[in-house]
Amino acid sequence: MTSPSDAQPPAAPVENDGGANGDGLAGRYYGRAIPYLPLEGYPGKLIAIEGTDGVGRSTQIQLLREWLEVRGYGVVETGWTRSMLMQPTIELAKSSNTLNKLTFVLLYATDFADRLEKEIIPALKAGFVVLSDRYIFTALARAGVRGVDRQWLRNLYGFAIAPHMVFYLNVDVKTLIGRVLASRGMDFWESGMDLKHGDDIYDSFRAYQNKLLREYSSMADEFHFRVVDARRPVDRIQDELRKNVAAFLEPAERPADRSADGLVLQR
Amino acid sequence: MTFSLLHATDFADRLLYKIIPPLKAGMIVLADRYAYTAFARDATRGVDRQWVRELYSFAVRPDLTLYFRVPIDMSVDRLLARRVKLKFYEAGMDMGWSSNPVESFRMFQGKVLDEYDHLVDEFGLEVIDAAGSITDQQRVVRNVIAQHVQITRMELSSDDEPI
Repeated sequence: MTSPSDAQPPAAPVENDGGANGDGLAGRYYGRAIPYLPLEGYPGKLIAIEGTDGVGRSTQIQLLREWLEVRGYGVVETGWTRSMLMQPTIELAKSSNTLNKLTFVLLYATDFADRLEKEIIPALKAGFVVLSDRYIFTALARAGVRGVDRQWLRNLYGFAIAPHMVFYLNVDVKTLIGRVLASRGMDFWESGMDLKHGDDIYDSFRAYQNKLLREYSSMADEFHFRVVDARRPVDRIQDELRKNVAAFLEPAERPADRSADGLVLQR
Repeated sequence: MTFSLLHATDFADRLLYKIIPPLKAGMIVLADRYAYTAFARDATRGVDRQWVRELYSFAVRPDLTLYFRVPIDMSVDRLLARRVKLKFYEAGMDMGWSSNPVESFRMFQGKVLDEYDHLVDEFGLEVIDAAGSITDQQRVVRNVIAQHVQITRMELSSDDEPI
């Protein structure tokens, strides 16, 4: 409910050289900032790993974390719906059948806000590398599929910090189905059963994930995704991630100091 | 931010289950507080004013909004007269402005009232002087509402005919 006189477009992004994703926004708020939490060139870096369910995000993050830590970086991990404040509430709400697309979005946004304030921003302030297992793009994709207004969603998540790098693990539905079935099986929400495509969970999963993948792809340019082909073996994907992360972190980390510690990267 | 978003979630739930269905059925919905409470309170907590307005852009704009205005001292006196303990968030204790709940309430709610004063013009709220007696206020309220709502006997449509 905006007031009629106040309909103004968001301010144009200001150029800076803080990020590797080329949009000039890295490390800043996407839109309307949290006024009481100004970001003042914090030393930490925010790296988001995006991709749909079962694409192998957590495996890659675990490997990336170990590799970064061995190289002397402090690493903090954060993940969707993992906030102390909201996790129990979200689980409870999902188990009832009263969630609608709006409350769904807002619960996720609350969870994200909690993690942003209590985990991500403090970690960036302290110079950590923050690895985010999913980021706001998951919310945008899921809500987009459910027909929530795109501009409203982007305004809502205006308080999110633009990551320094976003890796999008890209996969096709056929590969995805094979992987999900071979591991934990298809889940109600990940199959979009709430969208009532039908009673068949296989058909629903395929239709839903197809739409999700299209949503993610449509965001690739807007949010400067680095698209990674996730159909390849785990170590090949990990190599690509490491190469990109190293290229970004190394120049920022004063190589002279690191070589003194014997922490220079093998290239 | 989480305070703001949790309330928005609650509001969205009530909007879709409790407000929109009766509106569709042609009923009058009386809302005790609305999005304006969030605009005033969240802004006082330091959340971006325009962001909160955009957040609530899914809300139905009320046909009429009454704002019961009282000076902060009267608000404090009334609350203390019937209640011993002020609620933590209502008193803005989370802001850390004062460890004394009454003092904190006075500071926090004082700022909330300032925000409301801006909303009156921005959204055309109808101000009711809430310093007067309940009878006087109710008389004013009924006059205002009578100008906005045509209260007539509901006519039974054919499909509502008793069997």
